[in-house]
Amino acid sequence: MASGSIIAGYLVPGLPHLAFSEKLGGWKELAKAYSDAGARAKKAKPDVFVVYSSQWISVLGHSFQTKPTLQGSHVDENWYEFGELPYSIKIASTLGEKMAEKAKSKQLATKLVNFEGFPIDTGTIVSQRFFNPDGAVPVGVVSCNVYANYADSQKLGEATAEAVRESGLNAIAIACTGMSGRYFTKDIKPSEDRISDAKDDEWNRRILDLAGSGKNKQVIESSSDFAAQTMADMGFKAFSWLMGVLGDPDRKANVLGYGPIWGTGDAVVEYAA
Amino acid sequence: MAGNGTILAGFLAPHPPHLVYGENPERNIPRSKGGWEMLRWAYGNCREKIKALKPDVIVVHSPHWQTIVGHHFLHVPKLKGLSVDPIFPHLFQYRYDMDVDMELADACYEEATAEGLLAKKMNNPNFRVDYGTIVSLHMLNPDWDIPVLGISANNSPYFYSTRVGQDEMIKLGRATARAIQKTGRRAVLAASNTLSHFHFDREPDLPEDMSKEHILTNEQYQWDMRLLALMRGGKTEEIMGILPEFIDKTAAEVKAGSFAWMMAAMEFPKVPAKVHGYWTVIGTGNAVVEWDLAQSAVAAGGR
Repeated sequence: MASGSIIAGYLVPGLPHLAFSEKLGGWKELAKAYSDAGARAKKAKPDVFVVYSSQWISVLGHSFQTKPTLQGSHVDENWYEFGELPYSIKIASTLGEKMAEKAKSKQLATKLVNFEGFPIDTGTIVSQRFFNPDGAVPVGVVSCNVYANYADSQKLGEATAEAVRESGLNAIAIACTGMSGRYFTKDIKPSEDRISDAKDDEWNRRILDLAGSGKNKQVIESSSDFAAQTMADMGFKAFSWLMGVLGDPDRKANVLGYGPIWGTGDAVVEYAA
Repeated sequence: MAGNGTILAGFLAPHPPHLVYGENPERNIPRSKGGWEMLRWAYGNCREKIKALKPDVIVVHSPHWQTIVGHHFLHVPKLKGLSVDPIFPHLFQYRYDMDVDMELADACYEEATAEGLLAKKMNNPNFRVDYGTIVSLHMLNPDWDIPVLGISANNSPYFYSTRVGQDEMIKLGRATARAIQKTGRRAVLAASNTLSHFHFDREPDLPEDMSKEHILTNEQYQWDMRLLALMRGGKTEEIMGILPEFIDKTAAEVKAGSFAWMMAAMEFPKVPAKVHGYWTVIGTGNAVVEWDLAQSAVAAGGR
């Protein structure tokens, strides 16, 4: 049987502000950290990226993108004023099918998505702009099931890793998610941005400190509380997925960047090989 | 005539894409063997009614256009494209083509701002209109021969509290009514939401297999019936009073604000509502309900 591997994992934000950082004159540090992460990932020469995006929401189990090419110009439903996000993404369809098959074997509900005009979420597109700007590397994309718990999300990650290994591919995993999710609900200047609540900031930093010292199990155990206290993006389930993919709960994270996006907390985090 | 506009009627117009799928209109790509007839027939009554009313515009507030910063209004004269439902893409791939009432959009923006709300006009022609807006509008008027105005669901009920959110929607409703009045529009309103919203997280192999369709729990059914009884009795104030509890108990989609917006725009009508139909879609409770303000005005001696 072919034997692929997970080269590295990243936790990155999915809001479009970073893609328009230069134009809008803000969020420069986070955008730079994101670009650096992308450059490091590129150096590792992955055969494929596997992406879990908190902004691709599903309710009938987990959905897997299998349409071979996704191309278009994306207009975000909230932040359309910033501009459009053109995208061209090559989908690793066979891997997507395999990821779904493995998830199904773990009793998770799955659906394959292969539809012209399917609305690709902003997070997936933003992550590819930083990690895969020329679209040269194929991508496997899985949705965030609203009803999945942390254990299921981790299981989904394990299924993803099994599919990657059995496909003989070398993959980089990208968990695209915010941290604390308390937005400013008014217009702000980029220069005015900050984490909207000091307690959210404390929580975010605590989570990042735990990850930085390899206490990832503790992060998972704290996720429910973290989510309840900070309105964390989709319960911060993306982290559990990432841990499932990496299968190495003691690996220390390298926090490349942390800061606010419109009041929310966001970080660029690397789990290197 | 400008300055003499009126709201002719309001409809609770739920948006499960299943209803369009069950109908097999030419605009929708997937084909079905029918299904969810109780709701589709209910919508059929509304279509006739709307044709007879000859409105200038249908205004819809949709929970599936969620905005974080402010209340947004569609503001592109013509919006056209393919809308694929992100949750049920196998059921809904719909070619839409809608004319937006720009003057009313401007007026709504002005009045919402005057009401102290943060308002925005969405003016990107490549914007993908959400499926909630499209399904409600299709089910009310599949000919698309009446201009429309889509309004986003601001996320305030989720960010702050149900009460804060509903208060925002009440302001938005008042603003919408003033805009309609000032622009002289004869308008129909549509609150695009289901009632109880807990649902199955699995789908039958054949989505339109009606032997599998039923309400998820009896508790949410009882809540839906309680709400509908109040609607039929014209007890709007009582409904608004229990709305937060209804939302808590049934995860009702009215939380997104469409219903409160419409009630406020219609000045919390005491006219008995006409329930055209109720049924479930993947376990959620859905009702097609009409408030006929034009007829009640006639009955009251005109206004």
